[in-house]
Amino acid sequence: MLRVEDVSKNYNGIRALNSISFTIKKGETLGLVGPNGSGKSTLLKIIAGILRPSSGRVLMDDKELSEKDWIAYKGRIGYMPERVSFYDNLTGKETLRLFARLKGLKSFDLKILSGIISEEILNRRVGGYSKGMKQRLNLCQALLGDPDILILDEPTSGLDPVGTKEFYDIIASLKEKRPITIILSSHVLAEIEERVDRVAIIKDGSLKAIGGLSELYTGLNLPFKLSILPVSSLNGSLVDILKNEGAVEVTRRDNYIIATIAREDKMKILSLLMQKRDYFVDLTVIEPSLEEVFFGIH
Amino acid sequence: MVSIDAITAIANKELTDRLRSRWVLVIAITFALFTLAISYFGSAPSGMAGFRRLDATLASLTSLVTYFIPILALTLGAGIIIDERDRGTLDLFLSSPISFIDFLLGKFAGLVAAFTVSTIAGLGISGIIIIINTGIGAMKGYLIFMVNSILFGLTFLSLSFLISVIFEERSRVIAFTIFLWLFLAILYDLGLVGLLIVTKGGLGDLLFSILLLMNPVDIYRILNFLSLGESTVFLGLASVEFPGLMKAPLLWAISFVWVVLPMMASYYLFRRRYLK
Repeated sequence: MLRVEDVSKNYNGIRALNSISFTIKKGETLGLVGPNGSGKSTLLKIIAGILRPSSGRVLMDDKELSEKDWIAYKGRIGYMPERVSFYDNLTGKETLRLFARLKGLKSFDLKILSGIISEEILNRRVGGYSKGMKQRLNLCQALLGDPDILILDEPTSGLDPVGTKEFYDIIASLKEKRPITIILSSHVLAEIEERVDRVAIIKDGSLKAIGGLSELYTGLNLPFKLSILPVSSLNGSLVDILKNEGAVEVTRRDNYIIATIAREDKMKILSLLMQKRDYFVDLTVIEPSLEEVFFGIH
Repeated sequence: MVSIDAITAIANKELTDRLRSRWVLVIAITFALFTLAISYFGSAPSGMAGFRRLDATLASLTSLVTYFIPILALTLGAGIIIDERDRGTLDLFLSSPISFIDFLLGKFAGLVAAFTVSTIAGLGISGIIIIINTGIGAMKGYLIFMVNSILFGLTFLSLSFLISVIFEERSRVIAFTIFLWLFLAILYDLGLVGLLIVTKGGLGDLLFSILLLMNPVDIYRILNFLSLGESTVFLGLASVEFPGLMKAPLLWAISFVWVVLPMMASYYLFRRRYLK
């Protein structure tokens, strides 16, 4: 659906983005992760049509976007910037009406947005909103006109854990209703780990890796962990077996043995443990988290 | 292609914002009070008080407006891009399916509306009081004064947009705004008078006209003095005879150019910043 091809961006002699290429399928959720200053927001702004790349191009449905096409394309996207304080003297409803008119909408259905922000709050002036309310208003304006592509830049920035969960619940319910394509950036890796189809890791303006989590840690050959609840009398024997078979590290946590295993030894160790079923009560394979993938790349 | 709906939506938002922040009200009241004060106490230095004939009042009002309106219009518009950027709303506008022209024209139209409403309210209220006290004969001259003042304000609103696009830092916007106001309202005419003195008045009508037309403050002054049938104008502290070339239609046309050119430059600079 959307293709970013060799996109680079220079600002006053500084290379903010360096030949980034990837494709996003319709209905996919892509997470953009990277440290502050890595170029995530710049990339999102290019995809949202706010900035133009210094070189490279953005294609929508395999068609390169001309200047005129960009305006039509922007009608199909919803962009949620990281921080928006809106206008203190306008009500939430007036704010949404403004951006609805900019999208060419004569009106908008409040019922669709009522799950995100109540009409009572929308009738109040934005100057009296909390940060959470402003983020919800921000999401509402991005959803006006039922966009095909939702671009969310650090959407939970400044929200507490409850607010963060509620936000992602809203996104999940949107996806259930129709195949919306979502690109979202975050530097909180744990937050998006379970919520995206693929992850793109950006560092110093370059795309370091892109893929599903399992693709990434397999491709990086990252070790995984085994969490084993041993039969108490055979605890020591199991530890010895794991160490002898080349476990990278074996530690204990409460009653569990936590063994870090090199990826190339995965089949060997698991086969061996299946032969030693009497030695343990429970066994869980723990694949690397996004955070471990991220630091594995760095 | 221009979207009238987008321009109207943005303009409506700007005007609503100014009305609710009471900016329009404060400026209208300020205009009214200053105008009435000058009209009533303008002859105080000669020991008199009370409303005078309009031609006597207009010179003082013109002086007030040449200092007040430029700084008002410049401060109204100079932060327009920075304010949107700091709020995070600039990216929302730029990610909407509208063109750069829609955005700039919408913003400009909204500020023009706010400025015009406050000017008409302020000058209008005081104008009614003046006319009641000096006679209906003053009405035409006062109306021309109001129209000239609004056009004068639009010139500086347009310049303020150019400032807002050129400078990306608030401190530079403020500094340049103050500099531009000082330069056009005071320093330019001092320089012009100095030039006249040095050349012993030998600049020539054409060159002198061009130099006057290069300052919208002088254009405004001459327009008002022309409406009174005058042929001299105050440049700084000196009263100078302006060239015969200076006719109202030419001055209005040049004023219009002063509004349009900075806006065109704003558009090209703004577009270049985001499209390069």
